[in-house]
Amino acid sequence: MQKPEFITKIEGHGSLHFNWEKNKVWLEVAEGERLFEGMVVGRPAEELYWITPRICGVCPIAHNLAAIRAVEDALNLKPSKSAVLLRKLLLDAQMIQSHVLHLYFLAAPDYLGLDSGLEIIKTHPVYFQQALELKRISDLIADTVGGRGIHPTSTAAGGFHKVPSIETLKKLKNEAEKMLESAEGCVHLFTSLNYPEVNTDLSLFAQTNGKTYETYDGKYISSNKRLKASPDDFEKTIDEEIKPYSTAKFGYHAGKGMMVGALARLNLQGKLLKGKAKEFFKEAHLDFQNPYHNNLAQAIETYQFAHESNEILSELIENGIGEKATKLPKNYMPRKVSRGIGALEAPRGSLYYEVEIDTKGSITHCNIITPTVQNLSSMEESAQAVLDQMKGQSKEKIQDLLEMLVRAYDPCITCSVH
Amino acid sequence: MGPFFTMIKSKVTGTKSCSGVVETTMSREIKPKPKVAVFDFTDCEGCEVALVSLREKLLELVGEIDVVNWRLAQKRADEGPYDIVIIEGTPVTQEEIDSLKFLRDQTKILVGLGSCATLGGIPGIIDKEARSFWYKKIYGEKYKPRGIDALPLTAYVQVDYLIHGCPVEKKEVVRVMEELLAGKISKPRNYSVCFECKLAGNPCRLLARKICLGPITQGGCGAICVSGGSPCYGCFGLRDEPQIDNLLQTLYKFSDSEQVERYFSMFLKKTPEYARLFRKPKKPHD
Repeated sequence: MQKPEFITKIEGHGSLHFNWEKNKVWLEVAEGERLFEGMVVGRPAEELYWITPRICGVCPIAHNLAAIRAVEDALNLKPSKSAVLLRKLLLDAQMIQSHVLHLYFLAAPDYLGLDSGLEIIKTHPVYFQQALELKRISDLIADTVGGRGIHPTSTAAGGFHKVPSIETLKKLKNEAEKMLESAEGCVHLFTSLNYPEVNTDLSLFAQTNGKTYETYDGKYISSNKRLKASPDDFEKTIDEEIKPYSTAKFGYHAGKGMMVGALARLNLQGKLLKGKAKEFFKEAHLDFQNPYHNNLAQAIETYQFAHESNEILSELIENGIGEKATKLPKNYMPRKVSRGIGALEAPRGSLYYEVEIDTKGSITHCNIITPTVQNLSSMEESAQAVLDQMKGQSKEKIQDLLEMLVRAYDPCITCSVH
Repeated sequence: MGPFFTMIKSKVTGTKSCSGVVETTMSREIKPKPKVAVFDFTDCEGCEVALVSLREKLLELVGEIDVVNWRLAQKRADEGPYDIVIIEGTPVTQEEIDSLKFLRDQTKILVGLGSCATLGGIPGIIDKEARSFWYKKIYGEKYKPRGIDALPLTAYVQVDYLIHGCPVEKKEVVRVMEELLAGKISKPRNYSVCFECKLAGNPCRLLARKICLGPITQGGCGAICVSGGSPCYGCFGLRDEPQIDNLLQTLYKFSDSEQVERYFSMFLKKTPEYARLFRKPKKPHD
């Protein structure tokens, strides 16, 4: 077995290991355990969504909102309509931030033959400027609505501590409009790339509602194998397996690896897209059995979320933000011990929170399943498929293809070891 | 920026280190286009994301240096020696602790990036003793854990500068990096968060009888959490002469020690001050 070398350009520490004689590949995760589910026990409910965004600096907003939704579910709190819209806007910004970071800085160098995303400035200056513009504006939305993009400060169970003024939202809208052209450029760039061919049997999962291209408020856990479960039953749907070589658990459904994220979402609700996003989706001819196409799917979603954030901003500007958005409960103490579920689509796929809160408002139990926990199992199966289908190629070529494959899944190892 | 050949005096800032700290024997001379390496241990990587969010400013900084190793951003991964090593995260596993000690020997300047590196951070909420219970509960009886304890870098090695924050404040990162490239080691802000909180126009949390660690915490964050409506848990570390006992007198007027301890335990649990205030003295052995 060779010396473990961490895969570069992914979030966190993972490494691929081979047994060439037996033609086997597996994925080791060596990130230190942080034990978040233990850390929050005994602490007040309102600290759940302060602490758990720190699971991941790339998708802290997704963790913050999923934790908030779990607390709201336990306490039966209903945020106002404008508070929900602001959260959807925050989640859109999160998706763009994360997809752009991954697409341009981590994944694109593979396809453009570069070492680092920072080199794109020389080879593809127009695309690089578009990437910076998308990053700048999505960061601006996240900072303005969340108080701070990385680890939000203004969000809370029940609504928001603070909300932006209509004047601020108007300025934000002027900026958000500029994202559309750059997002189109993003789709063009990633449609023009050549993706490696691999044939796998991917099981794709996403939270859906069957009506809109939903990320915040899915009613079902759906799959391309005709599953339709309630997010409340996520623990029954996903079996977590502990492997001796990994500090992250691996999530399986019915004994098979699960793929979640952009490709899964487009597979399960792509038909619900509208306007240009729908055209891009149709023209891309995504291959839902080729995990490398997840990158192309992320590019299409970048446009969709840029478009949706503009729509939400228009609605908020037109209707205003009512006082109810910042009307928070005096305390977070349920009348009896209560369990709550918070589920949403994070950039890398379905994220699930379960929390139990006692009558003093203290957390007595917490369980979190992150997207990458689910993806790790599919990633390992796909890696094996690539290895099987590339027999006869040089070890170096196969290793490169496998690193690209892992990157295409956009794993967040830090998230997976929480 | 012109060429600089400056000797930087060795100085440890921030949290006092424990005994057994590995001290550097290398010279601190920083040449033009210094070799910079970025490493991350156990953490959320949010501080590296903050670096990327610097965008044009990052490109400007990268133009002044030679980034020879940065796993998150590039394939190039040169071995040392380096001029500047930036470390994000807390060394939780034995491999990370060994890497940290090795890297200390490989670099002239070692910078801690973010509260996990500088204080032990959020992972530090869990005590070493509590870990075995949670390993069993979360991973099961058979699991062989890798993590030992979440401590700041200074528990193991001498660190030249600590950039605090969860996450770091981008302006502070730029300030420290620019000063480093100009051949000097920055000083921490010698005022508390209160100063910046007043400038931000926030009503005082203490006057509203809400717990706040702003008065004892180093400035530099712009009071961003309080401005957003959240509490200050002190992620920028204690300021010089923090006068903690004075703050406690105020806090105990409207809260109990359990609540106060909880605030201190968010980011400061692995500091000597936390141990002094909240750890019960152990009985001596018979």
